[in-house]
Amino acid sequence: MNRVVVTGIGVVSPIGNTRDAFWSELVAARSGIGPIEGISTNLFTTRIAAQVRDFDPLQHFDAKRLTLLDRFSQFAMVAARAAVADAQLALTEEAALQTAAIVGNAAGGQTSLDEGYYKVYALKSPRLHPLTIPRLMSSAAVSQVSMDLGIKGPTFTVASACSSGTHAIGQAFQMVRTGQVPIAVTGGTEACLTVGTIKGWEALRVLSADTCRPFSKTRTGLVLGEGAAMFVLETREHAMARSAPIYAELLGFGMSADADDITAINTEGAARAMRSALTDAKINPEDVDYVNAHGTGTALNDKGETAALHIAFGPSAERLAVSSSKGVLGHSLGAAGALEFAATALALHHQTIPPTANFEERDPDCDLDYVPNTARNAPLRNAMSSSFAFGGLNAVLVLGRA
Amino acid sequence: MDVTDDVRAIIAQSLKIPVERLTPDTRLDELGAESLDVIEIVFGLEEKFDISIPFKADEGTRVTIGGEQMEFSTVRDVANIVQKLVAAKERAKAS
Repeated sequence: MNRVVVTGIGVVSPIGNTRDAFWSELVAARSGIGPIEGISTNLFTTRIAAQVRDFDPLQHFDAKRLTLLDRFSQFAMVAARAAVADAQLALTEEAALQTAAIVGNAAGGQTSLDEGYYKVYALKSPRLHPLTIPRLMSSAAVSQVSMDLGIKGPTFTVASACSSGTHAIGQAFQMVRTGQVPIAVTGGTEACLTVGTIKGWEALRVLSADTCRPFSKTRTGLVLGEGAAMFVLETREHAMARSAPIYAELLGFGMSADADDITAINTEGAARAMRSALTDAKINPEDVDYVNAHGTGTALNDKGETAALHIAFGPSAERLAVSSSKGVLGHSLGAAGALEFAATALALHHQTIPPTANFEERDPDCDLDYVPNTARNAPLRNAMSSSFAFGGLNAVLVLGRA
Repeated sequence: MDVTDDVRAIIAQSLKIPVERLTPDTRLDELGAESLDVIEIVFGLEEKFDISIPFKADEGTRVTIGGEQMEFSTVRDVANIVQKLVAAKERAKAS
């Protein structure tokens, strides 16, 4: 079995579109949540989201190419290019044949879908743009990443709602570890802040009206976000041979399904995924210093996840640092696991724990150390990044210091 | 207008139980209504009466209407909330 390392990180996020901007805002707990811009809000009551700002597609793609690219593909491509550049990886013809591209995504090209439906149903347009379908298919983003970078190895999309990004990275990790490919470009992308999807989320009655306060007693629900994070994973041997920078080592991947409720977290199911990731990483609960939690800022998640951490970590939960990045990033669904994997890898790299933003008051049902509002420097040996999706689909990654 | 019978019918239909099981004092949680059942009931009421109930999953059994906190636990509570919102709608229409 190969050892697998993270050598490149690229992000497009509500707090910046470079790795460095992302990390500095995350550490400063400066939230990317703000008033919704650029989308007509007169059909709903939600006024806030964590949107990607300062993203001009024409800076990255020419006008002709853009007609093929939904916003979720644009994010994935920009993040993938940044990850490959960050890894100083030359994807030669030979390397490209042995590189995988695996991208997590929950909702597909919702902007294209929403605009298309509006044209047909509201504007009574007799026809849609001929590229509507190749733009909105949920595999469009990874297809465009493959074409953009010339990647010719195993390439596909992973869809598991809010765990998509984590499942995608886990899948890529397993392929590199077992030697199927020496290199993988992987991560998650989402851009589904449209009138249609926001209406759907409103109907679930879980959106906050002001901001996202994970693990805080004063929480009022989740805030939708968008973005992408992409990574270069490669065998440690391959990375060392070319003197590549190494952010962290990927040690383990755990998965489970709850077979229970369609939306509520199941503590046993979540704990099983965490334990399975620890077993896969061949480490014990006491070897983990930091968990980047799913932490959506809903009562159901935060209390359930805390209980699951107690089950999975036992007495070691007491000394564990746990933080959620969603107070800063919002919940970007299929991209969330990937953006949080970036946070976790960078935490190990910088030996700094990014805080839980917007934390106001302790909740008696959430009794762990949530690193409230202020980042903390601490020696971090191993860290965990968790995703618990609607449908009870759980995915957990364990990373070690490089 | 008494909305209680409509409210009982919508709750019974959402939970797939006989309407006879619902008295004004019946609590939704004792009927085994989980969070998704409750938001389906809220949706059914909104559709039936053309109102918006500001129900949020994280606020549990309370709903804030016009600054006033109202209980959302029993059939009677739900009927009171619907009644209030329907009356407000009628007033808005009349003015």
